[in-house]
Amino acid sequence: MITVLVFTLIHIAPGDPAIAMVGRHGLSKEILEKLRTDYGLDQPIPVQYLIWVSKVVQGDLGYSYVSKRPVITMIGERIPYTLELMLAAEFISIAIAVILGVIAAVKHYSLADAVASVGALVGYSIPTFWVALVGLLVFSFHLGWLPLSGVITPTEFPSPVHAFYDHLTHLVLPAGVLVLGWTAYLFRMVRSSMLEVLRQDYITTARAKGLRERIVIYKHALRNALLPVVTYLGYSMGFLLSGAAVIEYIFAWPGLGDFLVTIANVRDYPTMMGAGSIIAIMVLLANLCADIAYAVVDPRIRYD
Amino acid sequence: MPKDSPFESAEETRDVYKPSRATRIFTIWRKLKTSKLAVAGFGIVLIITIIAIFAPLLAPYDTTWTGRSRRPPSMEHLLGTDASGRDMLSLIMYGSRVSLYVGIAAVSLEILIGIGIGMCAGYFGGIIDESLMRITDMIMTLPELPLLIVAVTFFEVRSIHIIVLVMGFLGWPYIARYVRGEFLSLRETTYVEAAKSMGAGSWRIIVRHILPNILSLVIVLATMDIPWYIFYEATLTFLGFGDPSSPSWGVLLEKGYLYLTTAWWMITFPGIALFFTSLGFNLFGDGLRDALDVTERGR
Repeated sequence: MITVLVFTLIHIAPGDPAIAMVGRHGLSKEILEKLRTDYGLDQPIPVQYLIWVSKVVQGDLGYSYVSKRPVITMIGERIPYTLELMLAAEFISIAIAVILGVIAAVKHYSLADAVASVGALVGYSIPTFWVALVGLLVFSFHLGWLPLSGVITPTEFPSPVHAFYDHLTHLVLPAGVLVLGWTAYLFRMVRSSMLEVLRQDYITTARAKGLRERIVIYKHALRNALLPVVTYLGYSMGFLLSGAAVIEYIFAWPGLGDFLVTIANVRDYPTMMGAGSIIAIMVLLANLCADIAYAVVDPRIRYD
Repeated sequence: MPKDSPFESAEETRDVYKPSRATRIFTIWRKLKTSKLAVAGFGIVLIITIIAIFAPLLAPYDTTWTGRSRRPPSMEHLLGTDASGRDMLSLIMYGSRVSLYVGIAAVSLEILIGIGIGMCAGYFGGIIDESLMRITDMIMTLPELPLLIVAVTFFEVRSIHIIVLVMGFLGWPYIARYVRGEFLSLRETTYVEAAKSMGAGSWRIIVRHILPNILSLVIVLATMDIPWYIFYEATLTFLGFGDPSSPSWGVLLEKGYLYLTTAWWMITFPGIALFFTSLGFNLFGDGLRDALDVTERGR
């Protein structure tokens, strides 16, 4: 259903892909016509869609108008980088957000709570791509601590360990910028959810039983407080992909986001269609995973 | 009809106590005032609005002023000048007009569509509800920025209004969800039942009895969405999908990116302007949520 939407939207777009494909000048009408027939562009949109779907089922996303390479290969090259960036950002964010969120909720109204809350507010009010640019300017350009862009420095490395380290230094800035925004959201979720749980009667009961505070917080409170956070993680794929689009572009990180920006600028329809669908599928899968994780964490939930 | 009939008292309460609009605004303000952060947010929003409205009077130079290009901040040009020799401070002041327009226009559109769809789904229920929510969920799960990029590329023309339209048309789903949630719970309340039993039609119940009760929720959601649209416009513009003829903060950032290493002020100050605007709306929205006592049960 999503593919129908994306497909229709892309195809009602003005701008002739045949022209985009060959450039605006120097081609006769006949050649343009031939291109349109070859790529099936002269068919009505529903027919084009059906042709597209029947090919997709066979694992064929078509060929790029611009680079003439199979779309599926091009996307396949990009996915690992996006996943790496997103998983790195996701795990670091969860770790920071949960730790800070618990501290802020347990020591409600303390200095730590205030600092963390204001930090979160700043973190989500700040434009991501601007942070990326300032980070690039400060850490890479002026201080020279981190590389400017890309995934690896194009030189020979004495050992794989050196290469890996070099790759990590490339990851720091893009992942760090993503972490900033996402942690701010997660932190607010964890904190408010934890505050609500700590107000419950069973927490008072647990304390009245004489349990140690540590056990009350980690065993009784945190586990319940994380339930709403887990459902929220499903959205994280969308959120991180959204952020990744601009961050990958800035840092020349060869992932899906950078890919989408590049191909959208040249109106490469089959590739946009493929990339759009793959992004949609990734998001849906992430939501599914979140639903399953929810059932695992919360024994009360049963899917029939 | 006996004197203590609930129907009659429902009619009576109208004259018993109905605070005037001014009183209600005052009450909200009094609650808002208890939070320093909310007041600060309100202050920032107010200042930015004033700057946007009076930009021609407040800006030290006009936006066509050309002197020496790419000069660092000085007493003469507090925030430096850009590549075409225009004063950055003035550009940012004029830019606030475009950015605020984008935020407010996109949010208004989103709210109109969101309320409309949420209302239909929540009030009528059944198949209408089911199918509308399917569509809502579908659009909601898609990541916004990639979706916006794909959507904006259909249009041959690069126009700020088109960006606003696209953002408004893609942004409504979660407003619709909240509104639907409110409708579902309000539909079951005694006073709606009372109105129904008195023969009020669907339209009258929706407009007079339900809508006023979801208004505060919608106001809070709208306030917190404005900075997002300002961000999205800036990001789209930065990525090259914007409207170069509307001097929004995004355009300034896009230009600044070209001179990232040689003119730091060109990218720093528009970003700070964006940050404060967003901070202002977020703080204000948070404060409003507490003051209006909105519980987000739409989720």
